[in-house]
Amino acid sequence: MTTTAAPATTTPVVGFDQVTKTYGSVRAVDGLSLRLYPGETVALLGPNGAGKSTTLDLLLGLKHADSGTVSLFGTSPREAIVAGRVGAMLQSGGLMDGVTVAELVKLACSLHPRPYPVADVLARAGIAQIADRKVDKLSGGQAQRVRFAIATAGDSDLIILDEPTTGMDVSARQAFWATMREQAEQGRTVLFATHYLEEADAIADRVLVLHRGRLLADGTAAEIKAKAGARRIAFDLAGEIDESALRGLPFLTSVDVSGQTVRIQSSDADATVHALYGLGVYPRNLEVAGLGLEQAFVAITEAEEAKQS
Amino acid sequence: MNSLIGLELVRALRNRKFLFFSVIYPSALFLLIAGNADSHTKIDGTGLTLPTYMMVSMASFGALTAVLMGNSERIAKERESGWVRQLRLTTLPGRGYVLAKTASAAVVSLPSIVIVFLVAAVVKDVRLDAWQWLGLTGAIWAGSLVFAALGVAIGYLASGDAVRPITMITYFGLSMLGGLWMPTTTFPQWLQDIAKWLPTHAYASLGRAIEQSQAPHAQDIAVLAVSFVLFAGGAAWLYRKDTLKA
Repeated sequence: MTTTAAPATTTPVVGFDQVTKTYGSVRAVDGLSLRLYPGETVALLGPNGAGKSTTLDLLLGLKHADSGTVSLFGTSPREAIVAGRVGAMLQSGGLMDGVTVAELVKLACSLHPRPYPVADVLARAGIAQIADRKVDKLSGGQAQRVRFAIATAGDSDLIILDEPTTGMDVSARQAFWATMREQAEQGRTVLFATHYLEEADAIADRVLVLHRGRLLADGTAAEIKAKAGARRIAFDLAGEIDESALRGLPFLTSVDVSGQTVRIQSSDADATVHALYGLGVYPRNLEVAGLGLEQAFVAITEAEEAKQS
Repeated sequence: MNSLIGLELVRALRNRKFLFFSVIYPSALFLLIAGNADSHTKIDGTGLTLPTYMMVSMASFGALTAVLMGNSERIAKERESGWVRQLRLTTLPGRGYVLAKTASAAVVSLPSIVIVFLVAAVVKDVRLDAWQWLGLTGAIWAGSLVFAALGVAIGYLASGDAVRPITMITYFGLSMLGGLWMPTTTFPQWLQDIAKWLPTHAYASLGRAIEQSQAPHAQDIAVLAVSFVLFAGGAAWLYRKDTLKA
């Protein structure tokens, strides 16, 4: 597990210290501690219900922690927002209806202490051609872009995006992330929540994996991918099975032999299968399947829990 | 915050249905009720003619419509859509949203008052002194703040499907029982006893006192002041509760 190194003197952009938030009997966020530093592009990755949205709400001061402290730029979330240091796009963030896209973006600009020209904001978000359209007549993807425009209406230091590409088709998604990269290249800190490992992998230089309100993993996209990108390999072998030879295969995370069937989990299925043939065996009914993010998280959780006990 | 007030206004002026009900409808209702009444016979115990009496009722009704409808339903809807949450991520102070809503409602309520006055003066020959016209406009306009606060409270109390019926019941209940549509003197005695404690009744009788060149009744002022404190306090409490929950 690597955490991005930063000088101890730098005030973290985001600081969570032992933060807990409970709804009834559900612990949405459970003792979460993390720090983000200037210039990082961070993905908050987790399945639905992992606590991503609650984490972002706490971060923005929309919700209050039951215990623990949350800080933005060393101050309270509200102070950071009033200082115009944060731009945010929420899944649950609605838009004012009955007005045009341009009017709404103009409002967002006028509410920011260091606004950009309205025309620039519209162009950057790719909504200049729908500027005169009424907000209530937009498609899901267009509405997302308007939310993005609102989040980037001024010169903020931190941009927060909660599942920003929901409702966008593939090409819109790509265009969106290109815009996003520009933001990051200007030295902004970007934090986005997603449940797509591919998005985290393509965009983020640091990935936080959240599961049941706890931080499961914190590392580079490649590291997380190695952990969560595990594949399941299953095949049948005839005759006597040499289990110790199977355990010697590279990139294994688990081996399970029942009867003539062998089930393996591997972090690099290509290499493992290649080595398998190297053993001189003839695997039949060979299947290689992705674990899927959810299962991969369970796998990571189990691994973490095994480590702790 | 001025930019939000501006945008709220632009939106209100574009909304034809809202404009019709808050600006045109009260004047139309005035003509319907007072249209055939003669301009000389006085209503018992008031010293006012029917058109003069109904003019204040309808101006009050128009202002009530603009501020109550403008606030309650919009606030409930925008809390649900998440627009209120989005605004909390801007530099706009927490109260700014409610103040902008109320300010823009007040801008719409002014023409609805003035248009009723114009129609009454032109069509039904209602004549008052200059100070009375100004006093009436000021009193009805300022008094509408009581109902703006009520609208905010309902907007934060109810959500989704419940907001419209609650608003309508409050709106018609207050209008009718408060005597905005017909003089409360036509009510049975027990209903009159209830009606005189309603803020809408106090609101309209404030205007009538000006028409009669009398000092406003202490009871009316008290009813309005207590209502304002209750509604504004309730709105503030519900607003805080909503903010903590969201």
